Amino acid sequence: MNFLNLGLGELLGLVGAISAGVVALYLLDRSKRRQVVATLRFWTAADVRTELKHRRRIQQPWSLLLQLISLALLLTAIAGPQFGIFDATGSDHVIVLDTSAWMASRSGQGILMDQAKANARAYLRSIPRRDRVMLVRADALATPATAFESSRSVLDSAIQQSQAGASALNLSQALEFAERAQKLQSQRAGEIVFIGAGRVTEEEAALSALPANLRVISTNSTLENVGLRKIGLRRSPTAPDTWDVFVAVRNYGVRPQSVDLGLQFSKSPAGTRRLTLQPGAEEQATFSYVAKSGGFLEARLNVRDAFPQDDRAVVELPAEASSRVVVYSDEPQLLRPLFLANPQVDAVFESPAKFDPAVKADVVVLDRFAPPIAPRAASIYIQPPASGSPIPVRSTKTGVRLDTWHPETTLGAGLRTRDVTLETAEVFSPAAGDIVVAETTEGPVIVAHGTEPKQVLIGFHPGRGSMKYELATPLLIANILRWMVPGAFRRWEFQAGTVGTVNVPVETNSKPEDIKVLDEANRALPFTVEDKNLRFFSGAPGTVRVQMGDREMVYSLTLPDVGEAVWRVPTTVHKGVPRAVLGDAAPRDLWPWLAILGGLGLLADWLLYGRSRAFRLRAAGAMAPQWKKMTQWRKAS
Amino acid sequence: MPEPLLDNRILERLERLTIQWQNSLPGLVGGHNTSRFAGGGQEFLDHRQFHHGDDLRAVNWRAFLRLDRLFLKMFQLEPRIPVRILVDVSKSMETGANSKFDYARKLAAALCYVGLVRLDSICLQPFSGKLHDAFIASGGRHRFQPAMNFLGGLQSSGQTNFLECSRQFCSKYPQRGLALVISDFLDDRDCEKPIQYLADFGHELILMQVWADEDREPPWEGELEIEDAETGQKVELAFDRDARAQYTAAFDAHAAHIRTLAERNSGRYVGMPTSAPIEQAIFGPLVKSGAVA
Repeated sequence: MNFLNLGLGELLGLVGAISAGVVALYLLDRSKRRQVVATLRFWTAADVRTELKHRRRIQQPWSLLLQLISLALLLTAIAGPQFGIFDATGSDHVIVLDTSAWMASRSGQGILMDQAKANARAYLRSIPRRDRVMLVRADALATPATAFESSRSVLDSAIQQSQAGASALNLSQALEFAERAQKLQSQRAGEIVFIGAGRVTEEEAALSALPANLRVISTNSTLENVGLRKIGLRRSPTAPDTWDVFVAVRNYGVRPQSVDLGLQFSKSPAGTRRLTLQPGAEEQATFSYVAKSGGFLEARLNVRDAFPQDDRAVVELPAEASSRVVVYSDEPQLLRPLFLANPQVDAVFESPAKFDPAVKADVVVLDRFAPPIAPRAASIYIQPPASGSPIPVRSTKTGVRLDTWHPETTLGAGLRTRDVTLETAEVFSPAAGDIVVAETTEGPVIVAHGTEPKQVLIGFHPGRGSMKYELATPLLIANILRWMVPGAFRRWEFQAGTVGTVNVPVETNSKPEDIKVLDEANRALPFTVEDKNLRFFSGAPGTVRVQMGDREMVYSLTLPDVGEAVWRVPTTVHKGVPRAVLGDAAPRDLWPWLAILGGLGLLADWLLYGRSRAFRLRAAGAMAPQWKKMTQWRKAS
Repeated sequence: MPEPLLDNRILERLERLTIQWQNSLPGLVGGHNTSRFAGGGQEFLDHRQFHHGDDLRAVNWRAFLRLDRLFLKMFQLEPRIPVRILVDVSKSMETGANSKFDYARKLAAALCYVGLVRLDSICLQPFSGKLHDAFIASGGRHRFQPAMNFLGGLQSSGQTNFLECSRQFCSKYPQRGLALVISDFLDDRDCEKPIQYLADFGHELILMQVWADEDREPPWEGELEIEDAETGQKVELAFDRDARAQYTAAFDAHAAHIRTLAERNSGRYVGMPTSAPIEQAIFGPLVKSGAVA
């Protein structure tokens, strides 16, 4: 007999402590109580025994004994005794079940996961039933599915519920976890059993620092597979309506493969390429596709292999964003080159007489006139009349030298000029909170007002005079438009990749506090920035957006992560399912019977010796003669 | 300020009562109970032969004219007899959840008020091992407050000794009268002989036994260490339901014995548990017994 929950010493200690408490309470309950009465004549006259000097302390020994026995039975039931062959040499094993993405590969009639489950069950059958087993599911993370458990039904259920995940196997972490679990929780360490294909990263392919008690039960891992590794998309820097598409394909098999890679955009063919891949080789294909509208870009490998999950990837692309700019000018030819140079700007030129304050535009440009009602959209005032300028005009100067730019501001970033003299320039008197972008010797000539709607006032005409030929002029307009409509100038990059850890290069001027990593529900994901490299982890398929200033990267992590290599198991490691132990009968649980007996004992004590008269009379009527004698003794006492 | 023993509402109800006695006791004219003794009353009682020295005003002159013999008319006497209330102030009166001592004082106060209202002369006589200082109240209800003060100032002490108290009572009060004894009658010595002694001396007895519920039916069970409140004597014993039944039977036998004793001597007995309100006890068993009406 052995105890599952308590040791024998613990059980005896507990029984002893509770018995002592019960006896103490019993004696306390039956201790003498002092009462002051008017006379003793009736006490002595009544048939009351007063020979207490030599009376026993315990008046109802059978009641006390029954209570103690009942409590001992209940405590023993709590201890979880088992009847059967008691062998103290039971071991605690850890089954590390490979649940990486590769385990969903087709093999014969089923998938590799089915083989692994069958192997796990076979291993369970082979070990003695007294041994306890912990099941750990291993993919990118090691997750315990059970504690050290002796119940085979619980373990079978946990094995049955195991499914292939989406990430690659991190074997070293899983084995380390199993080793640590055995060290901390097991009473007698048994084996660590790895069951699975062992598809790992190339770094782990030659993993040799292994636990001494490791056993490997391998499933077939040399299957032919060609799969997509990554898809990258970005707008072409030269043609903004063109997407540059990069697709990486890898051959995981042991034979060379020729596959057709097809690209579709919104169900329309966008390009095909035939790739020939050597075993273990990875190829990249590049496509260019012109698309202003949004849609789904799908990459597909036309191949039949063991792992179809990585043969297709889809990325959702947004429509090309552009900002609408309405320019009110009597001389539109002066401003046309500045606004039409940017393909992301949709500029419309109107005469000032057609000014509408509610015009539908992202930015309104007012060339040398000030409307009575300010436009609702963000606006650029060029040489506004002093009477209608939103920021007071201090003076109008001629022949002033533009000598100071403020590159520390967003609007003045990257701007500089040399020896530029403005023929005519308005000098503004900015209020507190206004942004000064450029100054002459006479004062500020470019001032911005940051509150909505945003306003920028330029005290000179950028399309006339010497500024017409300065490189700073289009850059200034671009800075102003980016400041006013940041979404239209955001740089988008899209990548379809595998779940797991994602590394993103970080630009030098990006600050970690300006970086956001958001999942599909717009919740922030934890990330680290180290050596200009942002790293985050996504354990489940989904979309993750990384925002860094005006740059936004969208990661469509829908491709399963498949290890590049197969783990080469050292020859010293035990392999296969061990021979089953015969004649290992399962011990029988005794706790239900003990609990019933204990409960019946307490019930009997209550019936026989409890305070309820009705129950006592009923019990007394049914008593055997010797029991009657006992109750008579109690009455006499 | 201590709470008064009786409130005004009870006092108002008590005004309609009168202390009654059954025996013909000699006393001065002015009482309200008839007596077999002839005297200066209003009601005609009998005729007797005239003897020298008799009051000529009582001669029946009509009978003399017709029969030529002197007959004397006798009238029924309504004597004023002494009412003495003996209050047990022994230590045993303090036992029980509801104090018998307080109950006895309230009862004595009520009877005192009833007597004063009828212009009776009331003697409040506390006792335990001996007779303590008495208080005599007479002259009407306005003399009740001193009696209340006297009763309120009583302290329980001593051990009951009915025999000694009876002896002292008989020697202290030679005039026969009504003796109302308020006590638990729980003298360890037998109290029959002393009470009989009082009756034999000619006092009319009204015995009022007061008991607490614990005195009659102790609620405790198990092992007990019992201590006598008066003697300090201790007994260790085990007590259960059967023993309690025997105890109660013994107590009831004792109460019945006292009742028999009272009735045998033409007296009256009233048993009153302290759990019953004092007003209910007076207008219930006390009135029913005929002690007051």
